[in-house]
Order: sequence, then C-alpha cells, then structure tokens
Amino acid sequence: MIVPVGVVLALSAVLFGIGVFGFLARRNLILMLVSVEVMLNAVNLSLAGFSHHLADPRGQVLALFVIAVAAAEAGVGLGLVIALNRNRPGAGVADLTQLKW
Amino acid sequence: MASLPAQAAFYYMAAASIASALLAVTRKNPVHSMLWVLALFLHVAGIFLLLGAEFLAAVQVIVYAGAILVFYLFVLMLLDLPGEQARPRFAAHWPLAAAGGLGIVAIIWLAQFATHDPTRNGIAPAALPSATEGPRLGSLAEVGRALFGPFALPFEIASLVLLAAIVGAVVLARRRVET
Repeated sequence: MIVPVGVVLALSAVLFGIGVFGFLARRNLILMLVSVEVMLNAVNLSLAGFSHHLADPRGQVLALFVIAVAAAEAGVGLGLVIALNRNRPGAGVADLTQLKW
Repeated sequence: MASLPAQAAFYYMAAASIASALLAVTRKNPVHSMLWVLALFLHVAGIFLLLGAEFLAAVQVIVYAGAILVFYLFVLMLLDLPGEQARPRFAAHWPLAAAGGLGIVAIIWLAQFATHDPTRNGIAPAALPSATEGPRLGSLAEVGRALFGPFALPFEIASLVLLAAIVGAVVLARRRVET
C-alpha cells in the first residue's frame, strides 16, 4: 500500500465536491456535463482505491462499467445539446426557458 | 513497503489533479476548461497506475482522454458559441453551489470518520492475498477473469446500454427532415 486508503478516499471526495460545484455553478451546458465527468472520475478513483486496499479486482470491474456509462452519458448529453442548439443558438442553461410558463 | 518516490509521485498527482479540476471548473474559455480536464484525466490515470490498476489506467487514457474528451471538444467547436467569454461564467447562485460542493465533501468525510479512522488503519482488508500463486492483482488476467466470470451479465448489459446510447444520440442529433 503506497498511501493509506483514507488519503485516496479524501482525494476522491475533494474531486467529487469540485465536480458538484462545477455542475451547480457553471452556466454552459457542455461545461456542466464536463463537471459530471469530473465527478465520475472521482468515483472511479475511490473504486480503484478500494480495489487496491481490499485486494479485490471487482472494484476495477465496477470502474470499467462506470467508464462505459460515462461514454453513453456523453453521447446522449451532447446529442441533446446539439438538438437544443438547433432550436436556439447558444448553450446557456439560463436561455432554456421554453417550459417555464 | 511504501517507497518514498512512489509516495511523492502520489502526492504530486493528487495535488495536480485537484488543481487542474479547480482550474477546469473555473476557466472562462471552454476550450481551456477542456484542456484542464485532460490534465486531470491524465493525472488520475497516473494514480490508477500507482494503485496497481494498469488496465484501468490504459482505459482511462484511451477511452476517457482519447475518445470522450475529443468528442466534447468536437461538439464545442461544432457549436461555435459566440460571446461565450464575454458572459459571466457562473450563475448568480454560485456561492450556494460552492456551499453545496463543500457540504458534499463534509458529508463524505464525516461518513468516513464516523465509521472508522481511515487515515490511521482504515477499513480492514477482507482477505490477505496469497502472494505465491495466481496472477498479481491488477493484472489484466485478474480483471478479465472477473469481467467474464461473475460479471458476464452486467458486461452484456453494458453493451446494451452503449447500443441504446448510440441509437439515442443519432436520433437526437439528426437533422429533422420535413415530410
């Protein structure tokens, strides 16, 4: 064990918090999706840390599934952004008010 | 057992990934944000290497940095967002968002320290790996055996999820043909 598992988990928690902040604060749809990727990476990091600590390959397998789901999420999310951009230019979340009233 | 260069490498990569994640969510230019996310992904891949997950590190570089991030960059350039740098980068409620992020971190840390003190001895390893026989943990053989053994059904379901995502992305991004 290079470092205690708690250090890996703490790093993962900090990265996840940064991702949450980016998702809630950014106004650009694409950058919100990128913040989601940062959060997924944080989760992968904690899965790999647990896998190393418990000497169990299942953590790495779960991280691979997370990567697969992240790829699917990127495809569908960016398809939605392109479709929205065709209706009205721009990718700001504040502009998407068609459903408001 | 814990060598000093490996520890130094880990702490460097941890600090660099936190810094690049912070820069990624705060840069004004979206392309700069993407490049900082690329730096974050590469440093996380380095941490995977240190944690003995070589296959995961390779997948991180090839799939995440190579495919997903390039896809994001393509869409960013395709949309050609005008005046993106002139607008405010954060919504008006960004202090609330910062509080939310800090709250998540606080909850995770509280949960860890309420169950154990993970920095001292941590969650006990379930079973000590036998160092004599079988492939080393983290080697591709071990992961592949788990992936195609007990995880065969979730593996197939993951391929279905990816197929559904491909079809959905094509349907969503297709130009509508007026009939």
